[in-house]
Amino acid sequence: MNTDHAAAPSTSARSVDVQTLDPRAARLRRGALVVVAQITLLGALLALWELATHGNKEATFLFGSPSTIGEFLAKMALDGSLWRDSYVTGLETVLGFVVGNCIGTLIGLSFWYSRFVSAVVQPFIIALGSIPTIALAPIVIIWFGTDLTSKIAMSTLSVVVVAIVTSYKGALGVDPDQINLMRTLGARKFQIFRKLVIPASLTDIFAGLKMTVGFALVGAIIGEFMSSSEGLGHAIFKAGSLYIIPKVFAALVATIALALILTYVVGKVEGWLMPWRSND
Amino acid sequence: MNGSKTATTMAKPAAASLLSAWKLSKSYFAGGKVTQVIGDLSLTLEPGEIVSIVGPSGCGKTTLLNVLCGLLIPDGGEVRWRGVRLAGQPPDVGYMLQKDLLLPWRTALTNAMLGLEIRNTPRAAAESRARAMLDQLGLAGFADYYPSTLSGGMRQRVALARTLVNDPAVLLLDEPFAALDFQTKLLIESDTAKLVRNAGRAVLLITHDIEEAVSLADRVIVLTARPTRVKAIYEIALGEDRTDMIAAREHPRFADYVRRIWSDLEVARS
Repeated sequence: MNTDHAAAPSTSARSVDVQTLDPRAARLRRGALVVVAQITLLGALLALWELATHGNKEATFLFGSPSTIGEFLAKMALDGSLWRDSYVTGLETVLGFVVGNCIGTLIGLSFWYSRFVSAVVQPFIIALGSIPTIALAPIVIIWFGTDLTSKIAMSTLSVVVVAIVTSYKGALGVDPDQINLMRTLGARKFQIFRKLVIPASLTDIFAGLKMTVGFALVGAIIGEFMSSSEGLGHAIFKAGSLYIIPKVFAALVATIALALILTYVVGKVEGWLMPWRSND
Repeated sequence: MNGSKTATTMAKPAAASLLSAWKLSKSYFAGGKVTQVIGDLSLTLEPGEIVSIVGPSGCGKTTLLNVLCGLLIPDGGEVRWRGVRLAGQPPDVGYMLQKDLLLPWRTALTNAMLGLEIRNTPRAAAESRARAMLDQLGLAGFADYYPSTLSGGMRQRVALARTLVNDPAVLLLDEPFAALDFQTKLLIESDTAKLVRNAGRAVLLITHDIEEAVSLADRVIVLTARPTRVKAIYEIALGEDRTDMIAAREHPRFADYVRRIWSDLEVARS
């Protein structure tokens, strides 16, 4: 950060020992160590599971085993059902996630505009938020039918209240001194909203987004449980009804993979939308 | 030798003053009771003048500043800008606090451009003005840095650039250098004095640092404890060149001013 460093003659830069600790390399090494530890832990758990169920038909039937789950995953991948189900559930989740967060964030941020409206509406939001989404499933099926729309609606409902609350919290958290500064610079309310409140709320909004990836997925799967002909929730429900437990686990693995991919994407978008935070 | 005059002998300020406050009062309602923060306070600020305001901590200096720039509405009295009673925000005021209040998602350059952007200055013009101001404050190479990568002193310089680039007639500064280390503080004080005095801007500086108050200002106003009013006013004469903070502090009269203001504050506290 010091300008003197930039002006330092190149000879002194060259004389710096190559062995000097590079903080970036140290961080990379620590990151690699974490990944290795995680893989080892996962491997150990799977090995334990495999050992405990190996050669025991009853145990394999009840608890599945990594190898049988792997067989089912391979079979589902080959007949295409793995990809089709993942695609359907992924689509429902993404659409519900996007719709729910857009509506929720819009409502939450707009509360900043009027303390009165937000005070009036607050208890209703909390009441809505306390309803378990699963309790709404039968009504959603009646309203939106048994196809894709009802799953998207379930996913949206699982997300929307959290999005309202997190974005409103973000908007309320804006430093009043910062608002005063904007006012002394002559900013109108809309300018304060656009140039200060929205970007300042992004941190909270993204915390909400990361949280709601899982909620959106749960909503979609609950929707599929209620009535569906495809999707990972459908696969889990059907395999469970037929007592094919390794297949239930295989579909669960796909569900987990889907959640991880979506969370990763949200994290990437966050880094892309908030480049200033990568410097911290 | 310039002495102090008592507040009670002050005449109603002439309407032509750049900024004048007349018999201001302001109370807060908190914790079930009303606390009077400002009680009957009058002051004036003339064009090109630097006035420091010192007072015991918690005496309502910040409240006063917020009333003067229209962020708070006084319960009694009035604030006039160029003789016109204040309604809303005055158009050409620069406001700067101890917190730099830089927007973390903006670079040094775009932070400095904030005020111009709000006033819809064409982008190219805004950018070149902000760049020139950053250059003047010694931040030429740091225009594209985010605040999180700058030091405290540099961040406060960016805040100063953001304030000055709007070409304000009056700067209202609320302990802007209080969080900086001594050396950085002297440098940024000198730069501020240069930029402000050369452009003929007026400054109202709130500070708890008596040495800072004396070394920068033409006039120091000492406030009483809450409900605050003017206790004493000192005209500061430290030679012709008032842009060098080291020279100001080495002036033979400097220590005398500091000591007298200090003893005023001691009395005010008790």
